[in-house]
Amino acid sequence: MSTLPETSDLLKSVTRLFVSSLPLGEKLGGIIESISKSLGSDQCLLLTPEEIVPHGFLNRVAQGKKPLWANETSGRERGEVLPEERGLLQESFGLIPLWDEATFRGILHIGFSRNHPFSPQEIDLLLLVARVLQTLLGNEQIRREEEKAREELQGLQEIGKAITSTLKLEDLFETILTTGLKIFRARGGVVRIEDKKKGELKTQYSIGDYHQAPLDRRIAKRVFFTKTPLSLNRSGEGNSFLSILCAPFLLKGRSFGTLTFYDKETHPSRFDERDLHLLLMVSHQLSYAVENAMAQYEISTLAREQEKRVKQLSTLWELNKALLTTVHLERILQMTLTAITIGDGLGFNRAMLFLVNEKTRRLEGATAVGPNSAEEAGRIWSALSQRKGNPSELITQLQPPLDKDSVLNSLVKGIGIPLEQEQCLLSRTVLEGRPFNVRVPQAEEGWLQARCERGCHLGSEVGCYVSEHLSRDPRVYSFASVPLWGKGKVIGVILVDNLYNQNPITDEDIHYLAMFCNQAGLAIENAMLYRNLEEVHQKLKETQTFLLHQEKMAALGELSTSVAHEIRNPLVSIGGFARRLDRITSPEAAEKRYTQTIMKEVRRLEKILEHILTYTHEESVALKELDLRGILEESLSMASEGWANGGLRLVKEFSEKLPMVRGNHDQLKQAFFNLIHNACESMNGKGSLSVRIHPVSKNGSSFVRVEVEDTGAGIDPENLHNIFNPFYSTKENRLGLGLPIIHKIVTSHQGQIEVDNQPGRGATFIITLPAQEEKGNEKDFGGR
Amino acid sequence: MKKILVVDDEESIRFLYKEELEDEGFVVEIAKDGEEALAQLPLFKPDLITLDIKMPGMDGIEALKQIRGIERQVPIVMCSAYGEYKQDLTTWASDAYVVKCADLTELKNTIRRLLGLL
Repeated sequence: MSTLPETSDLLKSVTRLFVSSLPLGEKLGGIIESISKSLGSDQCLLLTPEEIVPHGFLNRVAQGKKPLWANETSGRERGEVLPEERGLLQESFGLIPLWDEATFRGILHIGFSRNHPFSPQEIDLLLLVARVLQTLLGNEQIRREEEKAREELQGLQEIGKAITSTLKLEDLFETILTTGLKIFRARGGVVRIEDKKKGELKTQYSIGDYHQAPLDRRIAKRVFFTKTPLSLNRSGEGNSFLSILCAPFLLKGRSFGTLTFYDKETHPSRFDERDLHLLLMVSHQLSYAVENAMAQYEISTLAREQEKRVKQLSTLWELNKALLTTVHLERILQMTLTAITIGDGLGFNRAMLFLVNEKTRRLEGATAVGPNSAEEAGRIWSALSQRKGNPSELITQLQPPLDKDSVLNSLVKGIGIPLEQEQCLLSRTVLEGRPFNVRVPQAEEGWLQARCERGCHLGSEVGCYVSEHLSRDPRVYSFASVPLWGKGKVIGVILVDNLYNQNPITDEDIHYLAMFCNQAGLAIENAMLYRNLEEVHQKLKETQTFLLHQEKMAALGELSTSVAHEIRNPLVSIGGFARRLDRITSPEAAEKRYTQTIMKEVRRLEKILEHILTYTHEESVALKELDLRGILEESLSMASEGWANGGLRLVKEFSEKLPMVRGNHDQLKQAFFNLIHNACESMNGKGSLSVRIHPVSKNGSSFVRVEVEDTGAGIDPENLHNIFNPFYSTKENRLGLGLPIIHKIVTSHQGQIEVDNQPGRGATFIITLPAQEEKGNEKDFGGR
Repeated sequence: MKKILVVDDEESIRFLYKEELEDEGFVVEIAKDGEEALAQLPLFKPDLITLDIKMPGMDGIEALKQIRGIERQVPIVMCSAYGEYKQDLTTWASDAYVVKCADLTELKNTIRRLLGLL
């Protein structure tokens, strides 16, 4: 039996422990120990509700809410006792269920290995101590709940702080999830937001090893569409998830995303009602912040897009400005490609331009810009990046010689693709009038294969060229072709690639390029029209000059014919009678000189008349196949009569094989004679006369070229442009019809006359006459 | 003695030709245009006629046609100040074409050739 002092000791120590600041475990241990010591029991335990097995004996005691005192004589009806409970049912024992109103806190167990009937004092004492334990446990529960509430409050506060601290979407999501993990003691979390375009949920941020299982997505989807939070706890099998907590982001009755946490750190993992409510609160609170951040994000994305667009447009504007600086076709082509390749422009590595030839229905390579190697590319780019200024200034500054030695340029210039070759990408670009963006995957042997079947030029030329330069680990080769639109038709194609930096070509790049090409196409077309216009204009000018000349000649002809007629008759009489006088005058007489002078002057006048008439009278002459060598010989012998005695040296260079020329024998003889005669006169009886005749070929046609070179004074550059003008002469006593007559004869033979003038050293006149193409065009000298 | 009819509108030329050809031993008669020449023809009965082309009234070409209508056989030498009539097909009805020149050698040679005196 217990004594009073022991009882008071027990109460003293229990009271001391109750009010101490020791942790709960130590307090409970101390009290249990004191009970055991005070009663001298063999065993004293505090069983927690978790340790009490359902359907067992102890559970029945707990549900009975009444203490049980068992010894040899009483409390023996026990019903079913589970094996794990048997150790507690000793010789004598007491079981006191601890109930705190409706909450079961555990069972206090006191066991004796011997028979020990509990005295009423002992029972009172134990019931009292049990009340103490019950209170301690209840306090602890309250304290824990308070702590949890405080933690939750703190978490909510943190979330609140977080959502006001940042507008950056990613940061916000990260804060939400990390704080959420703390509040819910979860292992992972996912934020999903609705993708409005696709109408589905998209994972925006996740922490931890979140479930990729379809179930997880299905739950989120369900929460999203039903706008109802969901808590799911499932006993785990293997590695599958154990619990999940999911709530929608709701705003004005519309859901726009979900917030999910899963796998509670506690064991077993279990989210309770309280967690669900809390999550609902959190998600509600977050909705505004997330929505704001999303809007902000969208605005800044839009702003960035806009900025990019503006930059693109201003670049386009700059490039177009550059294109407007000239109408010179070559320059415009060059600038177009430069704009496409420089970094401040469209930034492609290489660009090639092909133009449609409407007559031949072929696509012909016009020009290309691009470095020959990656090293060269690097050099050029770094050099360009150091230059300052707008693209328009840069482009106009860059001079064409950039690619003078470019392998690519000369390669592209040699490419001609029939438009009928429909399988060729470039032809298709023209025929279909749309861009192509092609990505060629790496071939098995490590070489890129860009060639298409049936020997397309792109395949066999550009493609091969590309392969050669991509032998260093090429992953892929991307290229794109864009049509160049003129007014209503495709006038060419631009081919671009990123051979060196291997940047992918996006659809946006192509769109941008196409926009630029529309402008460039117009500029190119304009330049082409301008060039045609210039050509036509030039022809018109030539025709006009020719017509003016003809008109002048016609008037001159009329005039000179009547003058000649009027003058010739008197001249005949003067000359004729002078001869009669001369004949009857004795050689010694002084009058002999007079008659001689009259005769000489009349002869000169007659000669001038002859010149005038030859020049002005179009003689419809019979054309024959002629060997110019024979004619030249005749002219030479005619001219040489005058200088048989002088210090003139004649050099003849006649080709052995010479095509025939169709023409008038007498006219050509006259022309050559005049030419040789002039040459001799310019040398004043001293010097060297070279006469050469050779066959030449020009633009696929053959010609005969006659050169007469003298070592005289040459022609005064001031007079050079006038030498073929009739009645223009520098020789005071000459009428200057020699060269105009030659010119007239040569042009009426569809030939050309040029002069290579070296003032002070001599002049070379070059006559080119079209050769007869037909049979017998190569005759040996003298075969006429 | 061969008889030559010189037809020319220029008096000096007629005078020169007459003097020169008479020196060569021909009998020379002159006419100043086509009409005169045609009038002279039956009276003088020339062995050869020199005919200027450009004359007032009936010109050389017209005269040539008319003379040929009367006298088929008599040789006719066309004389002109310039060569453009060489291309005129009607002058082909003449026997020779000589461009007028102070040096009458060519004319004289032509006449002698046509009269078979060479």
